[in-house]
Amino acid sequence: MNPLNIELGLGVLGLLLLLAEPFLSSSRKVLAYVAIAGLLVALLTLITSGGSMSVPATMQEFYIADALALFYKGVAIISTLAVIIISLEYAPVLNKFVAGDNARGKEAGLGEFVSLPLFVCVGMMVMASAKDLITIFVSLELVTVSFYVLVSFMRRSAMSLEAGVKYLILGALSTGLLVYGMAWVYGLTGQMSLDGIQKALVNWKGDNTPLLFGAALVLAGLGFKVAAVPFQIWVPDVYQGAPTPITAFLSVGSKAAGFAVLTRVVETFTAKGSVIGDQVIQLLLILAGATILVGNLSAIAQTNFKRLLGYSSIAHAGYLLLALACVHQHSLAIAPRNIVAFYLATYLPMTFLCFLVLSAAKAQGVGEDLKSLKGLGHKSPLLGLALTIALASLAGLPLTAGFMGKMFVIFAATYESNYLCLALAIIGAATGFYYYFKVILTIYSTPEVETEKIRLSVLSKVMLGVFVAAIIVIGVYPDAIQHVLVAAVK
Amino acid sequence: MIESYLPILIQALIASGFAGVTLLLSVMLGKSSKRNAMKDSAYECGMLPLGEAQPRFSVKFYIVAMLFVLFDIEVVFMYPWAIIFKDYVNTIGHDIFWSMMGFVSILLVAFIYAWKKGALRWDN
Repeated sequence: MNPLNIELGLGVLGLLLLLAEPFLSSSRKVLAYVAIAGLLVALLTLITSGGSMSVPATMQEFYIADALALFYKGVAIISTLAVIIISLEYAPVLNKFVAGDNARGKEAGLGEFVSLPLFVCVGMMVMASAKDLITIFVSLELVTVSFYVLVSFMRRSAMSLEAGVKYLILGALSTGLLVYGMAWVYGLTGQMSLDGIQKALVNWKGDNTPLLFGAALVLAGLGFKVAAVPFQIWVPDVYQGAPTPITAFLSVGSKAAGFAVLTRVVETFTAKGSVIGDQVIQLLLILAGATILVGNLSAIAQTNFKRLLGYSSIAHAGYLLLALACVHQHSLAIAPRNIVAFYLATYLPMTFLCFLVLSAAKAQGVGEDLKSLKGLGHKSPLLGLALTIALASLAGLPLTAGFMGKMFVIFAATYESNYLCLALAIIGAATGFYYYFKVILTIYSTPEVETEKIRLSVLSKVMLGVFVAAIIVIGVYPDAIQHVLVAAVK
Repeated sequence: MIESYLPILIQALIASGFAGVTLLLSVMLGKSSKRNAMKDSAYECGMLPLGEAQPRFSVKFYIVAMLFVLFDIEVVFMYPWAIIFKDYVNTIGHDIFWSMMGFVSILLVAFIYAWKKGALRWDN
């Protein structure tokens, strides 16, 4: 089977939902359920026939369906599923800020809010498979342009609009950097495909400064997408202003897809014998160190939970970059690309859990400040427990998934003897314990005003259960993900 | 190599020199220090400026402009396709037809969506 069929199917589904939206007279929630069903079918297809997929000869130049690609496709589908489930919880807030007073009963906007994530999903799935500069660029733009709309979706909320404008301007800037870098790399090597570029880099004669310039621009452009310091300035405001399900999508899906591309690009630049390999590793280490430090230290002072998660997302990007930079280690059984994939797989359930609780709380009248979450653990014990597990995992408590991810990164850095970055990673992890546990402390403290119990729909409860189970299972038995990563090759 | 850029340098020097000299002459010869309300007002070809500098347009204009650009781009893509169609239809086969139909049908969905959403209505 052609792996592109899944992407095409989801794209057509997105178009059909968009088309059905203006004609539909019943509840818009039907569209969300159709999308969930479609995504589940896509996930099943990926799992059952992922190993037997073969890319047609005409596409092999720019499209690859290896274990890594299939893994990131799975991540894309699961995050889209989670986003749609969370947006069902968030629907009242969306309706309030999208519809005018007279159209409020009609669930205005919910239909588009379901079909656009499907387009993002298609883009992320193609990004996972892209191995050619043009394919990378086009799929990245599909994701980014859909996100421009989604971030500023709540058009009657000034914060959402501000977030949209900031994301648009900085997104355009990063795209500009990326394309400029790609133009330099293509102009120098004459190659569009990553394989060709790798060959050209190994056989390069003469000055490598222009190549390095192009590579640095490409890294900067992708650095914006994965929120690496110093390209992280947009993150806190955009994360805070965007609708909460979209914040979750940005922080997990967009980051995972960005790292899928970054993995392939960095592997190309740092291939054995590449003339710019050492400098690119240096650049990555600087980015990683700065990202870990800035992300973790800025998170300490945050009083808004969404902003805190934004800085936490920056901090995690730092660990991922550090793992990417450890290209040499041979004594470790797990390759850097798999460490990154593993880390993202652990990052997905814990982040989505936090945003699910946040969305449900916001939809039921609780604010996003840490203060207003006080007493959540007493009022809704199960929700509080799930949030506690997610936060403990984000901090990296042993026996949770987050611990295994961080451990692999720190192992890799130790083997590589990157002691400075190692020290920063450990300082960052220690800081993380402070600010994540501060949230846990808050949700179990006594509130000043009585709050209502937060209710979840059945779908959200299922998602909550699956993700909590995933955090604990991966934390106790990390080979589960490793098997997925390795088995997909066979 | 670098010498061939000399005319550009000369051109730049002349352009900036002309602007500089003109400004300098007007300061030296004119009564630039004397300012009054009339002198500070916007120059509209000798007319008195009327209304605000940035009038507000209805959002309908922007929607129509965006839709126009969208379908204009569609035609921009269709022209080269139509020109090479005959040359390639024998080598590539029917795919060349269906890929353009796919593109057009995506835009058709967008068009129907915009229509149903009332983007083309002018009277509300």
